[in-house]
Amino acid sequence: MMQCGWPLLGPLQWIRYTDKQVKVKAGKQEEHRGWMVTVDPVSASVVLVDFSEAGASVRVVMGHAVEEVEVLQDADAETVQRLRSAFVLPKRPGLGPQELRTRKGDIRCWLEKNRVPVEEEVDKLKVAKVLTITAPYGPEDCCSSNQIILDRIQRLIRIKPGHPGPHPETDPDERF
Amino acid sequence: MAKPVSVLRLPKGPDPNSRGFDPKSPRFIALCRTSISSSVASEADPELLQREQHARSVLRENFLQCLVSMTNRKVQFHMHEKVKVEATFGASDIDVLNFQVSDLHTPIGVQKEALIRSQDVISVTFDV
Repeated sequence: MMQCGWPLLGPLQWIRYTDKQVKVKAGKQEEHRGWMVTVDPVSASVVLVDFSEAGASVRVVMGHAVEEVEVLQDADAETVQRLRSAFVLPKRPGLGPQELRTRKGDIRCWLEKNRVPVEEEVDKLKVAKVLTITAPYGPEDCCSSNQIILDRIQRLIRIKPGHPGPHPETDPDERF
Repeated sequence: MAKPVSVLRLPKGPDPNSRGFDPKSPRFIALCRTSISSSVASEADPELLQREQHARSVLRENFLQCLVSMTNRKVQFHMHEKVKVEATFGASDIDVLNFQVSDLHTPIGVQKEALIRSQDVISVTFDV
């Protein structure tokens, strides 16, 4: 397998390609265009983003498959901004203190109704002394070193009436 | 969603590690460099080394953010011979040599859990 020099260029060369529109030749005949977000210094993999009305599509070309990289143009300030925020996880809309208190109370009631021992510790809920739930008291806010209890409580919160329903892509299996 | 196929147990290849993950096999050593070391020039010049390391950490951090945003998403793996498969991305190992995925749709059925070697992948696509 012939390897071109791409993986050998090094971080100082790779970083010069970022925030530019590039054409990457990969595999045998593939050619991909996109804005280069980054290059992984461990595997030399190239992350390209393409913007459309629907949103952004991302292609990660594995370093070992890169045959050639050609710069097409630089990104303008607006594109650079879009590239910077492409992978930043959207923050959940903030809830006011009153809403948080109500939410905490709702979750606490739901747990008690399901015979789960729960105590309030200031703004946190403590379950069976081994699991902590912080604001805003969703399944992702549960913290525990006990994997079984973590799983049970997360599922319980997900099926609470009024909670936004389970995400089909991450919860294909709703059995306890 | 299609019912997952049961795990296939293919006949074992030559010992000790017949499935290509043995880190001491000549193939692994030839194809899977676990890291790319710093440049020769930077070894002589500390200022250059510092700039190189800074660039390295910026690039790596952005790449890790990309990996995090892939977690639990449906992604498509474009592999050799125009093979394209879809799966839910789980995780990558530190050297980006293996990808852990769930619900891998293959021509013979859905594999509930699978490990994909990065050497077999040309590119990975997904929408954000």
